[in-house]
Amino acid sequence: MPESTPPLFDVQIDGVWHQFPKGTRVIEACAQAGVYVPRYCYHKKLSSPGNCRMCLIEMGMPRMGPERKPELGADGKPIINWMPRPQICCAQDVAEGMGVRTNSPMVEECRKGVMEFLLINHPLDCPICDQAGECELQEFSVEYGAGGSRFLENKVKKPKAVQLGPRVTLDDERCILCSRCVRFCNEIAKDDVLGFTDRGSHTVLTAHPGKRLENNYSLNTVDLCPVGALTSTDFRFKMRVWFLKETKSICTSCATGCNTLIGTREDIVYRQTPRENDHVNSCWMCDYGRLNFKYLEAENRILEPQISNGKELVPSDWKSAIAHAALQLRQFSAENIAIIASGRMTNEELWLTRKVADVLGVRYIDIVPRFGEGDDILLCEDRNPNATGAQLILGLDSEPGAKLPAIVRGVKSGAIRALLVLGENPITLGISGEQLTSMPALVAMDILSNAANEHATVLLPASGFAEKRGSMINGEGRLQRLNRAVRPPGNARDDWEILRDLLQALGGSNGIYTIEDVFRQMSAEIPKLAGLTLSKIGDLGVDVTKVDESPRPPIDPEAKDIEKAEESRPAGR
Amino acid sequence: MDSRVPAELERKIDEAIGHYPPDQKRSAALPLLHLWQEHFGLINDDAVTWIAAKLGLQPINIFELVTFYPMLREKRAGKTHIRVCRTLSCAMAGSYQVMENLCAATGIQRKTDLAAAGHTPISVSPDRNYSIEFVECLASCGTAPVCMVNDDLHENVQPDNARSILSQPADKPVVPSPHPLEQRIIFKNIGRSNWKTDIKTYLDDGGYDDLRKALQMSRAEIINEVKTSGLRGRGGAGFPCGVKWSFIKPDEKKPVYLICNADESEPGTFKDRYIIHEDPHQLLEGIAISCFALNARTAYLYIRGEFPEGAKILERAIEEAREHKFLGKNILGSGFDVEVHIHRGAGAYICGEETGLIESLEGKRAYPRIKPPYFPAVLGLYMCPTIVNNVETLCAVKHIIAMGGAKYAQFGRPNNTGTRIVCVSGDVERPGYFEIEVGKVTMGQLIYEMAGGVKWGRRLKAVIPGGSSAKVLRADERFKLKQKQPDGSTIDVEMSIYDLPMDFDSLAAAGSMAGSGGVIVLDDSRNMVWVLNNINEFYAHESCGQCTPCREGSLWMKKITERMLNGGGVTEDPRTLKTIGDNIAGRTICAFGEACAWPTQSFVEKFPEEFAAHARKSIPPPLPPEDTPRELIEREQIPTSPLAHDPGWEEAGADAVI
Repeated sequence: MPESTPPLFDVQIDGVWHQFPKGTRVIEACAQAGVYVPRYCYHKKLSSPGNCRMCLIEMGMPRMGPERKPELGADGKPIINWMPRPQICCAQDVAEGMGVRTNSPMVEECRKGVMEFLLINHPLDCPICDQAGECELQEFSVEYGAGGSRFLENKVKKPKAVQLGPRVTLDDERCILCSRCVRFCNEIAKDDVLGFTDRGSHTVLTAHPGKRLENNYSLNTVDLCPVGALTSTDFRFKMRVWFLKETKSICTSCATGCNTLIGTREDIVYRQTPRENDHVNSCWMCDYGRLNFKYLEAENRILEPQISNGKELVPSDWKSAIAHAALQLRQFSAENIAIIASGRMTNEELWLTRKVADVLGVRYIDIVPRFGEGDDILLCEDRNPNATGAQLILGLDSEPGAKLPAIVRGVKSGAIRALLVLGENPITLGISGEQLTSMPALVAMDILSNAANEHATVLLPASGFAEKRGSMINGEGRLQRLNRAVRPPGNARDDWEILRDLLQALGGSNGIYTIEDVFRQMSAEIPKLAGLTLSKIGDLGVDVTKVDESPRPPIDPEAKDIEKAEESRPAGR
Repeated sequence: MDSRVPAELERKIDEAIGHYPPDQKRSAALPLLHLWQEHFGLINDDAVTWIAAKLGLQPINIFELVTFYPMLREKRAGKTHIRVCRTLSCAMAGSYQVMENLCAATGIQRKTDLAAAGHTPISVSPDRNYSIEFVECLASCGTAPVCMVNDDLHENVQPDNARSILSQPADKPVVPSPHPLEQRIIFKNIGRSNWKTDIKTYLDDGGYDDLRKALQMSRAEIINEVKTSGLRGRGGAGFPCGVKWSFIKPDEKKPVYLICNADESEPGTFKDRYIIHEDPHQLLEGIAISCFALNARTAYLYIRGEFPEGAKILERAIEEAREHKFLGKNILGSGFDVEVHIHRGAGAYICGEETGLIESLEGKRAYPRIKPPYFPAVLGLYMCPTIVNNVETLCAVKHIIAMGGAKYAQFGRPNNTGTRIVCVSGDVERPGYFEIEVGKVTMGQLIYEMAGGVKWGRRLKAVIPGGSSAKVLRADERFKLKQKQPDGSTIDVEMSIYDLPMDFDSLAAAGSMAGSGGVIVLDDSRNMVWVLNNINEFYAHESCGQCTPCREGSLWMKKITERMLNGGGVTEDPRTLKTIGDNIAGRTICAFGEACAWPTQSFVEKFPEEFAAHARKSIPPPLPPEDTPRELIEREQIPTSPLAHDPGWEEAGADAVI
């Protein structure tokens, strides 16, 4: 056996023998054997305090004969000495010959007992609790609880609606003191801000008044909370969770590309939650990215294609707008045209942009770099979700943004007379509104109206990240998929379709009918994407470029750090 | 803000921090909080922030402690602060009446409903001269009822003349001479005339000779002597001490720690108190020998916060021992260094649990650790091998070295060797402590001969034989014990409670335990529901709240017994009580689960008639919901508290009472 492979242990789970590598937690071994053991405090990414007592099981070790060798039964397997007391399975690793019973009468009794204890002082305000529908107290009550209550006393009163920080609201009466949030803040967010005060049944989760829960990862505590104690101040009372449609997607607020679930109902996004991907974001995402979806509903959303009549933009229809845009762009020769694309565009959009540039012969094409403060957890300094993809697909031979000064100079000097601006604001690059007004052709595709695109000659309403499909490559070179969670509002269209139509108007039929076609074309021409299709990317993405080939080395080792932290964490708490 | 901290206080603070390894400054949290409170009288937000900064911690780390340990106060107490013990033996002796009288004498209006909530706030008199609180067991059950006035313990307080303690100094109760049935080894100096706690007295009596002797022995020899002696831990679990010690690898690379558990707080137990207060050098000698045997260079003596005088006596004794080279660097020229540091608790029974104690010593809430993997001998203090021994156990080590393990093992009975101190309290004529050969004295002898029998005109009703967590024994029970015959065979013997030998195995066979040696005697005047409610209140108050069954179950049981006492008992209550106990015992992180479940399980099982008499009503129908969903949401949407700083049941008024 090669040294790197851990030895396998024989473990009996509910009468069946399985093999697990050394170091597997018993609770995880049970899961691998298809047995889900209920738990509240245990979370695989956090230390195990063993405090909720929900995962009590019967455990046994092989009976040792003389010479300290296990005695074997008729089946040739070790005879198990069952421990008289139930054991928790969240803090122990498997051992050779270990036996586990997860469905014995004793185990059922234990679970029923713990469920009863957890519920006696719980408010049972499920009808108005945001957690209802995804509450583990509810779920395990159905599975393991009793039908009625024997509790005749007054419940313990605790603080309600506590503002733990700007984004998290706490109902202490609902808290079951599992300490997941406390451990998350301490172990993952590295911001030891939550703790317990008082003791016994009066124990209260809180923060010190001098230091609130306001780190950029605070909302992960809401995800971790198995009950309705920690709720998102943003999402609170907005929607019953069972009405939410959950769409797997990725966060587009930085180059990390955290995997997400977008919760929507009837074309409105209500929340984003992290989706586990150990290559990218473990189980977490930052608050900044998570809450960065409100603009989809913004007042200044562009809802109609618009064409300038020389004085102002007037609504139009798509056919005219595309034709108009193509007509305007075609007036100019290649050296008079520049394209300002965006690192927020999908690979497919970037590919079609490149095709548009090819048809027009444009050399002035670049994306706008976007940087912010990063951290060493998940948030990347590079706030463009797809700068890597842009670099690869647009074939930029220099740093992203390197050509922008030349473009700006060209606009100012009048050498560039036509601008195709895709999801960026040229004013932020130093081009004044007047200069934009004087452009003979300013074709802008965007989501929100702004000071720049109100000077457009043609304005094309596009889709936000939750409204479209496509792929992006994160800062570490991982190709991941966006999925459409809601439809774009009004007459806004999916960006790739707009670009496809523009391309068609410029260069004739191109045989692209679906986004899969775009990807197919792209993968045929870009070696790093060879052999891939949108569906092959899967929910968790694939690595396509090496880190050293990406435009900027990613600032943070993000997920790797979390993995490292997990490796070094102690076996228990 | 630093300017507010006087130089003298800061010097003490820095000294306290120096007691712990440089990378474990957090351990100094509790000592710093004590120092701060002694100086400023309370621990406010400034203190929390300052101490956190001083120790490189976050404010919440300190805030968690301030609210966990009842001795730490966020509000100022009166100039004279009175602690009245409300636990069983004191309550039986009239401590509730003591409280009433003291409140009347000091003009304090006590919020009794809040006391019933299990969270007992301090009540302060209008002139702020006095403040008063009920506290759990002060470990002086033999002289019940007791009060602490500031740092002074007042014993045998007269309930109807309690106010006298406010004006008169505490006087020492008369110490009776040892009973003929006693075999005093550890307690041989307790109560001796002309005995003082200074080192000279101790040395004149041959003190520290056994340390000299031990230093000539090899470590393995000492451990072997302890194994041979058969010494079992005197803290409660009765685990063989030598076996525990042998868990430490002889070639251990990490530092090894010895912790002396002086957090005596099991109701009914008051033995360590006398060792600490009257014979501190005996304990230090035992610690030094044990440290040498275990190669532990540092020992922490975790003494409960309610023994301020004991802590001072020990501090002085440590200084004396250092001056005489019994502690410190290169003790007695042996080349072995050992430092002993006092670490004061702050009113948490759970710190008697060894892993809870370790967490507390590390400057955290005393949440016991899960075992596996945190067996102290492997992953103890600072994740290093650690041995935690009770005060009496460590003293016994000294005598084992003195007389040899084999000689020690001749005391007592096989597997129950040596002597142990049994504390008798409750309804007896002469409560007190008795050092007996283990198992050589029966329960009957203990109660009737040594403790003078039950009070005049009363009959024995029940005995709690090993601290309040031990299962109760009925006076009229018959016990079937297996008795070993000289030829090795065993025979079944049936016996009454009077014939039960006072040893580990017999009491376990009788369905209870020898525990910490605290025997609480109940006579026929006692209402067992009242007794159980008193015990339940103790455990509900002392549950650390870490794991579900004990946190929720202990308070629930208390609420039921309280309701039964107040006439609200329903027919289902005894059964509910029993099953709550069943759902706690064996399912918690630490043995506190059993400790709080056993009384309920045993009381309900053994006195069904009394419980049934308090449980006659039928179950009331469920109440309709108080609010509509809309009302609930509206109320919820108004953030009521900026932070859960104040849990609110002091200010919240009557409707917030649980």
